[in-house]
Amino acid sequence: MGQVDLDFQPTVPVFDANVSLGRRHNQRVSVDSPEGTLSEMARAGVQRAVVYSPHAVNFDSRDGNNLLLETIEPHVGFVPQFVGNPTFDNLDEFSSEVAELNIRSVRLAPIPHKYPFQDWIVGEWLEWMESENLPIWIDAPNVDPAELHAVVKSHPKANFLLAEVHYAHLPWAIPLLKSLPNTYIELSRFVSVDGVNRLLNLIGGKRILFGSRFPESSMAPQVYSLHLNDLSNEDLTAICAGNLERLLGLT
Amino acid sequence: METPVIDFHAHIGNWGRHRVNGNIERYIEIMDHAGIDMACINCIFLGDARIANDRVAEIVAKNPARFVPAAFVTPHYPDEAISELERAFYQLGMKYLKIYPDYYQKPNDHPDYFPIYEWLNEHKIPVMSHATYPFDGPDITVTERFRNLSVRYPDIPWILAHAGSSGPGQLAKEIREIRNIYLETCGSGAVKEAIENSVELVGSDRVLFGTDMPLLDARHQIGKVITADISDNDKRKILGGNTIKLLNISTNHTN
Repeated sequence: MGQVDLDFQPTVPVFDANVSLGRRHNQRVSVDSPEGTLSEMARAGVQRAVVYSPHAVNFDSRDGNNLLLETIEPHVGFVPQFVGNPTFDNLDEFSSEVAELNIRSVRLAPIPHKYPFQDWIVGEWLEWMESENLPIWIDAPNVDPAELHAVVKSHPKANFLLAEVHYAHLPWAIPLLKSLPNTYIELSRFVSVDGVNRLLNLIGGKRILFGSRFPESSMAPQVYSLHLNDLSNEDLTAICAGNLERLLGLT
Repeated sequence: METPVIDFHAHIGNWGRHRVNGNIERYIEIMDHAGIDMACINCIFLGDARIANDRVAEIVAKNPARFVPAAFVTPHYPDEAISELERAFYQLGMKYLKIYPDYYQKPNDHPDYFPIYEWLNEHKIPVMSHATYPFDGPDITVTERFRNLSVRYPDIPWILAHAGSSGPGQLAKEIREIRNIYLETCGSGAVKEAIENSVELVGSDRVLFGTDMPLLDARHQIGKVITADISDNDKRKILGGNTIKLLNISTNHTN
């Protein structure tokens, strides 16, 4: 008979690297409020989450970032992430606001924001983020892989987290992670067979981060899966929270 | 907690284009990690169904306590289909038919499938199929398609694959009224509340746990059911109870 734990709760602290918060223009998601997000976090055993505004990715970064801050202000458990648009946002204003609000990461969205991810477009921004030790989140579907590889390689002191990596991205994402040590992977869509163990063998346990892609996906299944992967407690703790804390400079 | 856990939707073999290694020993180890007693396996990627079904039968023969065979036939060789169905179900002991219309570029209500369905209907054998296809026009919905098939072939239990990925959002509530419809849970999308929505759409007696192994990791797929906001009784049915009834099988494996 199959042995399953219907009352599962994680055995280590969990910090979600990939949650979007707020209403969308093109659909009504089942959870679009901070209260609903916190409720799901509690149910899944997730204590903290990096949150960004989907409006900032889909339409206007500045407007979305401000909406996010207003939304999360009274709540504990959210670590806000700003979305930047290097082809529209003013870098001086953006960097000042990031410093003032102690924002710890920036998400870039080249394809939704309709710019090539090339050094002559984003170089100045990346130099600033390198200097401030601000990690950069990029969703795998939102960037050209060849452009990403070239830019990451030319900015070895910047840390890039590749989010929402689906099995369709594996042909390029795995070689990219292997060849560039300043890259990290977020696991929300990385559900291919034995994927976590393969990653551990390939890049070690310090560049792998739990993320859920909530509310498009549920939080708990990947946490459950990680607990069944025969990971050492050190790797499980690092993947579920420690690596993200370190990347954000929160340790 | 102990409960029968049967993966209704799994495959075999290497999938080079998705960098998937189908090593069967590792496959069983992952089943053990996930708490899965048995997996219904198929091979649907070849043009020759006879070779595909033989590969499945060979693995089941070596691991009869862990795998349940599922059959495949191709609509592009209708002259071979019926004899292969007879061989698959009455010589190789297969339990249901899996079809993959996306891959074969024919929707599952194409007339080329009708002789296959007529045989299955006569023998009351279940069919699992993808529910939507990239080549579909806007003129038919998933619900309409399966209503039509269910009316035409009323003795086939129809299983819609990947309801746990994107299916429920595309299904109308009337699907509950369609005779012999089941929803299977696997998918790379892990859409939030897919399991809860599936239960709401058709009831927990008609939802079947699946993994899509070895493409997707069984530990994540079972996590979607284990962590769903439904009752423990519903989880037990979905994890194995419903499949045991549908396929009339028993588990004799002990994890």
